[in-house]
Amino acid sequence: MGKSMLGRSIPGHSILHRLDARVKFVAAILIMVATLSIRDVRVMAVFILWTLLLSALSGIRPGIILKSVRPILVIILFAVALHLLTVEGHVLLQIGKIRITQEGLLSGLMTALRLSLMIINTSLLLTLTTPPLAIADAMESLLSPLRLVRFPVHEFAMMMSIALRFVPTLMDEAVKIMKAQSSRGANYDTGGLLKRAGGLVSILVPLFVSSFRRADDLAVAMDARCYRGEEGRTRLYAARLQARDLVFFAIAAVLLALTLVSKQVLPSLDGFWGSTLSVY
Amino acid sequence: MSEAVIKFQNVSFSYGAMQGQRSIQAVRQLSLSIERGAHVALIGRNGSGKSTMARLMNGLLLPDEGLVMVGGKLTADDDSIYEIRRQCGMVFQNPDNQIIGTTVKDDVAFGPSNLGLPPEEIFRRVDQSLAMTGLSDLKDRAPHELSGGQKQKLAIASVLAMRPDCLILDEATAMLDPVARREVMALITRLKKDQGITIVQITHHMEEALLADYVYVIGDGRIAFEGTPAQVFDQVGRVKSEGLAVPAHLEIARLVSERAGVSYDPDEIVSFDGAVRFVSRVLAGHPAVAINECLYRAPADESVPAVVEVRDLSHAYDSPAGPPIQALDSVSFALRQGEVLGIAGHTGSGKSTLIQHLNGLITAGPGKVMVLGRDLSEKKEIRRIRRQVGLLFQYPEDQLFEETVALDIAFAPKQQKKPPAEVEEAVLKAAVRLGVADVLDRSPFELSGGQRRRVAIAGVLAAEPDIVILDEPAAGLDPAGRDDLFRDLLTLSAEGATLIIVSHDMEMMTCYADRILVLKEGRAAGMGTPAQMIASAQFLDQAHLDMPAPKRFLDALKADFQNLDTSCFNVTEAADALLPAKGRLNHG
Repeated sequence: MGKSMLGRSIPGHSILHRLDARVKFVAAILIMVATLSIRDVRVMAVFILWTLLLSALSGIRPGIILKSVRPILVIILFAVALHLLTVEGHVLLQIGKIRITQEGLLSGLMTALRLSLMIINTSLLLTLTTPPLAIADAMESLLSPLRLVRFPVHEFAMMMSIALRFVPTLMDEAVKIMKAQSSRGANYDTGGLLKRAGGLVSILVPLFVSSFRRADDLAVAMDARCYRGEEGRTRLYAARLQARDLVFFAIAAVLLALTLVSKQVLPSLDGFWGSTLSVY
Repeated sequence: MSEAVIKFQNVSFSYGAMQGQRSIQAVRQLSLSIERGAHVALIGRNGSGKSTMARLMNGLLLPDEGLVMVGGKLTADDDSIYEIRRQCGMVFQNPDNQIIGTTVKDDVAFGPSNLGLPPEEIFRRVDQSLAMTGLSDLKDRAPHELSGGQKQKLAIASVLAMRPDCLILDEATAMLDPVARREVMALITRLKKDQGITIVQITHHMEEALLADYVYVIGDGRIAFEGTPAQVFDQVGRVKSEGLAVPAHLEIARLVSERAGVSYDPDEIVSFDGAVRFVSRVLAGHPAVAINECLYRAPADESVPAVVEVRDLSHAYDSPAGPPIQALDSVSFALRQGEVLGIAGHTGSGKSTLIQHLNGLITAGPGKVMVLGRDLSEKKEIRRIRRQVGLLFQYPEDQLFEETVALDIAFAPKQQKKPPAEVEEAVLKAAVRLGVADVLDRSPFELSGGQRRRVAIAGVLAAEPDIVILDEPAAGLDPAGRDDLFRDLLTLSAEGATLIIVSHDMEMMTCYADRILVLKEGRAAGMGTPAQMIASAQFLDQAHLDMPAPKRFLDALKADFQNLDTSCFNVTEAADALLPAKGRLNHG
């Protein structure tokens, strides 16, 4: 449950694995913005090629990469349906009141691709190829200017990393407590909204109590292993930027620029392939 | 050789003194000295102050009075605290709550990073520590993908990466199954031998205490008595009065010695092999070994109706990567009213999946589950059955949530919409049975662990179920606490309720169950009386279960005495098989 989607990095030594986590973090954001703003089928083709290239470079099995789409599958399907049913244009198919148009089909497809490419790129750059501690270290490094305004950057990054570590543990625990209370006759499936909300108390209180206990235990365990905050601590993944990091960052920036200016720079398309442009 | 790594001088410590609450004195005027390279065990009942001592040893707690010195430095001295914590690494009880890193290697790197070592050195130490603990292949795994035993080995690896002089284990094996426990113990023994690391081990398992060079018995914040394992366990009366147990082979050897009128050497019988040798010598040449007349439990009465019938039950879990995991594979068994059934099996054998089928928490899947005449494949039957089947998971104290003990116990009867008077009656009855009637007005969160366990059990019994299922009810309790709990639970069976006890502790099962179902990798490997289930050492070994110590002892003597009847459940029965209480040996 949730174990597959929440950041299990796949070990490897590909160029993607070796890139600096900070660069990957920023590049992921740039590419996320870029994919979401693709309006042109030709740009889309470039991004599909780019994503295929990235996947090949990562050395990760395609099946695992595709799985990263699963958490947002419902959203994608919903968006596609919305486009199919609402966009007006050349009617391809009509069943009763439902009209499927050429434009609807294309823009639905584009939306599905935009969302899928966004999640695949983020997964490839971050969750799949970067150990969570490296992400936390990268965040700490990227946020470090905030130190000037006394933002506890190190503590924030440590908190994020511990939260990530305990999500699966707490999910298991919630299931266990729910089952235990069900065995005592609690019923979480029926009854009015109020009754169900009341039932949640019997799950949330034990879950909070146990979380606090875990927090307490963990704090002691951290103390026992000489944790004293940022002071004197080695940042394990904070290496110097290499040439490949800079090149990669440049590519990500170009990709973003390409999408943003595509309408102005590229000659406009006619007919079916151009129809998506007219929609927006 | 006599250099002290850890030294306590008249140390006292109490909790809660600062917040103006009732302060609890955990350690009183205690002095001790632990030598470099020693393996020391601290034993004592729950709440005797052992864990507090461990936390005083590396400055997690500071003494109210007296001095604690580690490697010649005071823990109260701010300048040396991190050096002391590096020197005295600590492994805690709960495997889940001490792993900080999101992957195995990140967790091992946490300690050395805090020491500010250069990255190359950290990576080197990570690899070394993982190799030493046999975890190298799991380097990139997330903690929740590890088994309990692997998690504890990881905790040890993480400490080793800080290059400690001393390893403190605070009940580090308490939440593990026997196989994992043995592996962790073997690792610790190896570390002591190869690396010369000082081991301080707090434990409830007397077999682990036997591996130590020196044992402190802690009672009420003081050292009750101390000595080598041979000296300590020779004082059976004192050990038992501290709520502890004496390992079975020692007790059997002592009983035989007493009955034969032959004195023994405590240093010989302290080890299992030594005790076997001693008994073999005492009985040698004695012509006829008595046939054991130990009490066999009556076989199940076929005329009593079955309350649980499971036929060809299978269940598979989805696995995120790879094929589904077959948790249960065509399991069949039947259970009669009033029986006490033990379900034994290694971790991952399907025990927990099986019992969740018995009150409908898990349904579907091929096979049939009939409970009290209802077919649980029908949804509407499940709601009814939950009232009649009480199910307690491991560590049930985690499910308490109400403000007072009384309210928490009343949760289940209230869900059944019983009138208030009946609810009150049910609560009182359950509370009395489990000995928590005097704390009904207190908050469950201010009770001791053992009491919270009892409150949680009472909370299920208050629904007055016909079938009660308990998953490892005694986990983490000291020996005396465990025996008391079972005595109270068995009163249910005497009143006609059916009990199912799930555990990997065969010794406990043979003491309390009428019949035992042995699960192995999702299949029913066997079901029968305790005597049948422990008859073959090979059978248990294949099921990754431990042979109960008394029987294991007799099995070891089988080579010397061919006609020895080795079936026995407890120490007295084992001794009776060797030498009946009245019969004195005629030597010569």
